Amino acid sequence: MKTPARLVFPLFLAALTTLAAYDAKASAPTIRLFPTTVVEDLKQTGNVARDMETGLQEVIGRLDQQQELYQQSKCDGAEDDPGCQRLARQIGATYLEMLTIMEERLPDMEHTVNNTRQSLEKGLRNELGRKMTSWTLQETLLGSKAEQATAQASPTLRGRSGMRLSERFKQYYQLVATSGAKGDQSLAVLASDIYLDMEETSLLIQRTRQEIARATLMEQLNQSFGIITPEMIEVVGGVKTILFGDETAQTIVAGPPPGSVEQAYRSPLEQ
Amino acid sequence: MNFKLTNRALLVIAGLMILSSCASTTPTCSSPQTKNLSAAIDNVEASLMEGCQAHFDRYYDDLLSIAEGDPKPENKREFSEFLVWSSDQGLLSTRQAQEYYNRYFNVKFMSLKSDYNNCSHTCPNKQKVLFDMERELSDKERGLLKVSLDNDGYYRADQLFQEVELVLEATCTACAASR
Repeated sequence: MKTPARLVFPLFLAALTTLAAYDAKASAPTIRLFPTTVVEDLKQTGNVARDMETGLQEVIGRLDQQQELYQQSKCDGAEDDPGCQRLARQIGATYLEMLTIMEERLPDMEHTVNNTRQSLEKGLRNELGRKMTSWTLQETLLGSKAEQATAQASPTLRGRSGMRLSERFKQYYQLVATSGAKGDQSLAVLASDIYLDMEETSLLIQRTRQEIARATLMEQLNQSFGIITPEMIEVVGGVKTILFGDETAQTIVAGPPPGSVEQAYRSPLEQ
Repeated sequence: MNFKLTNRALLVIAGLMILSSCASTTPTCSSPQTKNLSAAIDNVEASLMEGCQAHFDRYYDDLLSIAEGDPKPENKREFSEFLVWSSDQGLLSTRQAQEYYNRYFNVKFMSLKSDYNNCSHTCPNKQKVLFDMERELSDKERGLLKVSLDNDGYYRADQLFQEVELVLEATCTACAASR
């Protein structure tokens, strides 16, 4: 994980800077969905996501192993067994460690995700919501014939969850970088995709932060009894979903369409 | 007396003849029986000229069904020419002709026609807009895919529908956030 992240984020930064330059240079009446502020916010969110992943990966890995051991030892239903109680306390201690790290890192994460979300929100509202009708939006999404040919040659991201947070940013980088050369139709879809993703992530972080204080207190109490609560498992699951994605819900990346839309016949009635 | 009777008989015969001639010109407005699209269009055009304008929707549907039996890219042109003819004859307005053509044979969605911005008009009616688009997509499936064999066109329309759905979801969330 660490090596690709080190490689990806400088590239991510460079590509976003290029995109910002492209956006500024475009002479046609281009929609401004990725101004410099959004690009900066995306970069910052990517950095924070990487740091958080790095910090939590080891703890969560350890937690997974301990839980596996607990289950293999058939401790479910044998909570009074001294060995199982010892295992449960170890799990609880690791869980507290995870909560502490999250308590430290989540505010930064929430801040950058919210910044990205707000910047995109403003762009979407002004550029697509207020300046466009549904008809012009459709024309933007379709693009010109020339742009269509290019757009069809590359895949488009579909779906928003189901992958590692930093991996998602890597995909965003790739899409933003390639969409920049294609035109507004790809940017509109991409901006919408990222915005809805940020909205979802922001809500998850908010809920997780609300839970952390309560969960920390509960676990401190449970430490004296050596109990694994369902909440513990739920919170760990939530954290893993935010950071590492849902293993069962893989993001679908659509392939390019089979051919060109260009047809031989054009009706004089066509709009 | 005899003269009066003869006159009366002649009047009755003349009346019957007039009535029978009226009956023979009343259009039957029946659906085209041929399976050949060009011939069917000729039949329909003749019927429309005979006063069957009120049956235009049914005829259009009949023609689409006939074309589905022999799908080919050239069918698009046949339908376009038929609609241009209908417009020239004053059976349809230009706007109606465009609506009939684009709804079935173009990638663009006529359901997205609007003069007002998305925040103020499209977002409050988002569900209806998407529902109308979905219905139009099934007409495009018929026109593009089953009648014209334009798989790429239909694929693009389907993709456009999904993109509009995603972009409207994001845009409308952003519009609502400012309130």
